[in-house]
Amino acid sequence: MLPIGVQTKNIVEDNCPGEGFRLMRQAGFSCGDFSLNGYLLNSSLYQSEVNTFFDQSLQELEHFFAPHKKGADEAGITINQMHMPYPNYVPRAAKALNDYLRDVVAPKSMQICAFFNCPCIVIHGFKLAYFLGSEEEEWRRTEMFLDNLAPMAKDMGITMCIENLYDSLNGHLVEGPCCNARKAADRIDRMNDRYHAQVLGFCFDTGHANLTGLDFEDFITTLDYRLKVLHIHDNDGVSDLHQVPFTFTKTRENLPSTDWNGFIKGLKNIKFSKTLSFETAPVLTSFPEELKPQALSFIAGIGKYFSDSCL
Amino acid sequence: MNIICTPAGIIDSIRPAQGVMDITAAGFKDILLDLSMFCSPGELENLGKKQNQQNNLNKPDNPNGPDSPDNQNNPNSPDNSDNLNNQATGNKPEETTRPLVSQHPSELKNNMERLLSYYRKAGITTTIARAPYLQRDTKRQDVNTLLLDLAREGLKVCGVAGCRYMIVRPLFSGINRGEEWNVNREYYLKLADTAREHNMMILLENQCRDVNGHLTRGICSDAFEAAWWVDSLNAQAGGERFGFCMDAGTCNLCGQNMQEFITAMGSRIKAVILRDCDGTKESSMLPFTCSGFGQTNTDWLGLIRGLRSISFDGQLLLDFATTAGFFSPILRPQLLQLAKAVGEYFKWQINMEKLLKKYKSVVLFGAGNMCRNYMKCYGQDYPPLYTCDNNSKLWGTWFSGLKVKSPESLKQLPEDCVIFICNIYYREIEKQLRDMGIQNDIEFFSDEYMPSFYFDRLERSE
Repeated sequence: MLPIGVQTKNIVEDNCPGEGFRLMRQAGFSCGDFSLNGYLLNSSLYQSEVNTFFDQSLQELEHFFAPHKKGADEAGITINQMHMPYPNYVPRAAKALNDYLRDVVAPKSMQICAFFNCPCIVIHGFKLAYFLGSEEEEWRRTEMFLDNLAPMAKDMGITMCIENLYDSLNGHLVEGPCCNARKAADRIDRMNDRYHAQVLGFCFDTGHANLTGLDFEDFITTLDYRLKVLHIHDNDGVSDLHQVPFTFTKTRENLPSTDWNGFIKGLKNIKFSKTLSFETAPVLTSFPEELKPQALSFIAGIGKYFSDSCL
Repeated sequence: MNIICTPAGIIDSIRPAQGVMDITAAGFKDILLDLSMFCSPGELENLGKKQNQQNNLNKPDNPNGPDSPDNQNNPNSPDNSDNLNNQATGNKPEETTRPLVSQHPSELKNNMERLLSYYRKAGITTTIARAPYLQRDTKRQDVNTLLLDLAREGLKVCGVAGCRYMIVRPLFSGINRGEEWNVNREYYLKLADTAREHNMMILLENQCRDVNGHLTRGICSDAFEAAWWVDSLNAQAGGERFGFCMDAGTCNLCGQNMQEFITAMGSRIKAVILRDCDGTKESSMLPFTCSGFGQTNTDWLGLIRGLRSISFDGQLLLDFATTAGFFSPILRPQLLQLAKAVGEYFKWQINMEKLLKKYKSVVLFGAGNMCRNYMKCYGQDYPPLYTCDNNSKLWGTWFSGLKVKSPESLKQLPEDCVIFICNIYYREIEKQLRDMGIQNDIEFFSDEYMPSFYFDRLERSE
């Protein structure tokens, strides 16, 4: 069976992280996607608000996360992937903020990732095509950001994973950075060749793919071995809801409106052997607290179904 | 660039006079020859079913666009109006005696003749046609051969009618994944000879795929793949027999980056369908009428950037069937005038750099954000002599590398110098300049769809 994971947000709490990891394990997960982005929220960054969390020294940060690491170890949860805070660049913000994100938040995120012995960190590409005029130029800026971190990634044995993102056209969610699998594959290969290491990989986000109408099977098949991590979740094709797969239907036949068959075929095509990781934190706030264990078990059960279908 | 009106929602194939009159009165000179008016997706879907299930099949169903099933009973649509009239007058509807084109493809010519004669009388050209097609969520997997016959017959009739292009959607129903190219290669190449005989080009079109009601990227929605299809077909057909029609509505439904799509397709794009929708449900709204939070939620910026980048000079099709179908017939002439203006606006935006190239020297009017944007994107290639502004505090200062002068200075301009108004109060400023007696050409500049933008807006404390 493939390892099954879930993001730690809404499960693992700082005051008693071991409890959350135990809950994950009991529900049937063996891996965790550590939600480092929860410590510097995107909603704040877009308002140019920064807290002081990443001002802490590495030693202080390691001390802060030591209980988390211990809790995961004791529960038998492997932190297989981590999410760097995002955005990594705020277009209309002061230079000081963007410098801080590049020079402080990003490197410290890498160090925290290494502290957890986590092999992959998901990094959002810059959303700048509107300003710069093209996706190519947008990627150039993202690549500069990644290049800044790549030597560190190589030394630490970490793969930075770019993710297919959406952008908003006044509420209509459309293709954002990294939604072209062919380009992503070329760019990953080029960077890895340059560093002679697997410093760059891909995180396929099923929810974002659904919002932007991507062909799951084609996309995954094109990425092939470059696909390192997953963000599995579902939505109605309109909003980024991060719900349980198979939740949404649109016709009287009540068949899923998300192409889960394409997802499974894609993973089969590339003989995917990494973690089936769910990014379904909102599920855990929408269900009553009392049902959290059952909700998690249900998600893990879907993971097992995917695993059985892929192998 | 040729602006073409699509007839759905406007022209009734049985009684076309008023629709043709409205379209020509709005200034359109070219109409899409849409064969789905004579063999609709609904007709194809119900082919071979019992007659009572085919109610009204042999009339051109759903003038709001065959992809909009919800609109079929709209009383404002031309065809339904006719039905009501027929019921009221007791006249037997002419169409009930018409043979079904789906059962007799060779009848297409006879069925189209009435409409074509109206077009001829009105001096309308039909540069581009569209072959019959299946609805996205079709259950029919047995009509691909019929679609071939219909497309072949369509090429013959439309070629004689003077069409240069025919949009032929790829086959998709009943085709296994991985077999799409092989099946469609055979399909298109079977049409190539007929197209050649009639001197027509076949245009493939980007498609949605219906995943249980959710529209996602379908055949030819990947520009890389679509370009390869077109090139491969042309290589096998021996010449440029195939091109591409990009449906902006389909791109919008799939959340695609239109600039990327267009750039990858390049000169293979011969036609573009302009239609708006909310990005989730199939509809054909007039561009700029489908908005979220007071602004458009369609990637017109990407579309215009892309079409500029490939110096697009092809067929621009306006499809606003849904909008037209729901406007009162009384208001349709005004709606068509607006649609024509929208088409001209797109043409103007796409041709922005051609407009700049047209003049030997340029002066700007306005020393604000629009001027700054002009200088950022075009200042180097098309440097203005200076800019001017009504704000006297700015006179004698420099802005974005330009000296700011009084409007009075424009009276000294050489004759061949154009004034570009870089301020949204276009008509007011134009009137001011004309009242001052300035005779130079005056053009409007727009920074709504610039090649790039500043990260910040200029803020002046006044």
